[in-house]
Amino acid sequence: MAGYVLVAFFSIPFFIFNVLPVLFGVYVSFTRWSIVGSPRWEGLANYRRAFSDKWVVTAFENVLFYGLIIVPSVTVLGLIFALFVNQRYPLSSLARTLFFAPTVVSATVIGLVWVWLLDTQFGLVNYYLSFLGIENIPWLTSTRWSLLGVSIASVWWDLGLAFILFLASLQDVPGDVIDAARVDGAGRWQRFVHVVLPHLRPTISMVITLQLISTLRIFSQVYVMTNGGPASSSSSPIYYIYNVAIVRNLFGYAAAISFLLFGLILVVTLTQRFVLKERG
Amino acid sequence: MLDWIDDKLEARGLVRADLIIWPLGMAMAMLWALPFVWMVSTSLKFPGDVMTKDIEWLPHRITFENYVKVFEYPIVRWGLNSLIQATVATFLCVLFGAMAGYALARMRFPGRDTLFYLFLASLMIPAEVSVIPLLLGFIKIGWASTYQALILPSIGNVFAVYIFRQYFLSFPKELEESARIDGAGPFSLFFRIALPLARAPAIAASVIVFTLNWNNFLWPLLVVFDENMKTLPVGVAAFTPVVGARTQIEGYSVAMAAVTVLSVPSLLMFCFLQRYFIQGISQGSVKQ
Repeated sequence: MAGYVLVAFFSIPFFIFNVLPVLFGVYVSFTRWSIVGSPRWEGLANYRRAFSDKWVVTAFENVLFYGLIIVPSVTVLGLIFALFVNQRYPLSSLARTLFFAPTVVSATVIGLVWVWLLDTQFGLVNYYLSFLGIENIPWLTSTRWSLLGVSIASVWWDLGLAFILFLASLQDVPGDVIDAARVDGAGRWQRFVHVVLPHLRPTISMVITLQLISTLRIFSQVYVMTNGGPASSSSSPIYYIYNVAIVRNLFGYAAAISFLLFGLILVVTLTQRFVLKERG
Repeated sequence: MLDWIDDKLEARGLVRADLIIWPLGMAMAMLWALPFVWMVSTSLKFPGDVMTKDIEWLPHRITFENYVKVFEYPIVRWGLNSLIQATVATFLCVLFGAMAGYALARMRFPGRDTLFYLFLASLMIPAEVSVIPLLLGFIKIGWASTYQALILPSIGNVFAVYIFRQYFLSFPKELEESARIDGAGPFSLFFRIALPLARAPAIAASVIVFTLNWNNFLWPLLVVFDENMKTLPVGVAAFTPVVGARTQIEGYSVAMAAVTVLSVPSLLMFCFLQRYFIQGISQGSVKQ
């Protein structure tokens, strides 16, 4: 009995506020529902509508581009930074702090700081790029660049998590295996390729999965930096869901799109697991 | 000369390449922190010194006027809301998470493992899926723009349960047994013996859950319609000076002062409790 009581304190709020809403959401997604008035059953209309809504298509296309930019950048840079810090040079704990710090601040900080850094006329980024002969880039105000601008800020924000996971994994590399490889005359690069990398493999795939899921859910930095614009060029599924629910007051439709996103996340996660199992 | 350098390096287990890698890596780390430096630097400038053709890292004259302006907005109220929301939600999440984690690790009851797998499976569902129906529910019962609305959905964070379960799985049996012989029931066993010893996972779970709650954005943005009930990140987000149709409030210097105020608590907590952040994250995600 005591076990149930101890578990109940967590489980009750968890089921009411985290599980039940998902089930309720399935119902909501089959209705036409605005804040005022009562819901009207519409069957699959919201889902059908989503597939022919060009802004849904744009949002999902964008999020794939976000994934293509952010996930590899975070994974590769996070790994490089972790390898550097793991060398235990002087001041490496300072470097560790600095690499991780952006991850602990809120999206509002990230967003506003980068809006200023990426300012077309007076931003720091364009100022230093001008020394390379690159003319002012309208990072956040043109349809061509906005997605990249938001991605740069996101990499800065997200990298810390990947970095720490890689670092923790690197510290578990068995020292005697490294020593044995060294005795056998393996150079640093060979030790990395033949000992360290195989050891890191599960972590690499975990980082890719976690980062991919978090990128598919990209929202706050989009909201703060560009409002999804210009012309939806940096919009994302959750930004569009927010817009549909709050601005256009179509809660049923918003819920339906959120389930489409859930489906995409599920497919991505399961594919990744499957590929991983095949290899391992 | 080169031999001498090689000898010196070898004594420290280094090679020549390290002489390039080390400064390069440290430069990268400094570069990584520069946005924060620029944020603080801009926040101390006179508005007229901000949008200039030349970059001035150290302002030639400084002012705290921007911070004064920030406090003309209800930023103290927003901060208080954030603090109440994050503290209460974190406290309840960690306490309930510890209780659940302990029961799942140390006690036997039917359905225990099913429940644990259910918790883990729920991690597959993005929080955003529950946000719209949750909002409708809170509006229906008249709880929009309340502390309940800000706090309640943040309690069920499975991360806390996971951290504590991991910890209590390797908890020494002897401690419990001697207390049980003295006639302690399961609750006093948990509250008197187990919980006081679980300091490390408690701090790790607290710092991470607190940071998540403090930075939470989408949910407070949706559920608060009253200016006075906004949380700090949502309130400060309105300081965006240039984007689209959103109101231009004060320009970059005030915006940077506002985000400096917003980031200081997180960064301070991180600096002092870094060890626990790292421990918590690396323990919390070895599950795959």
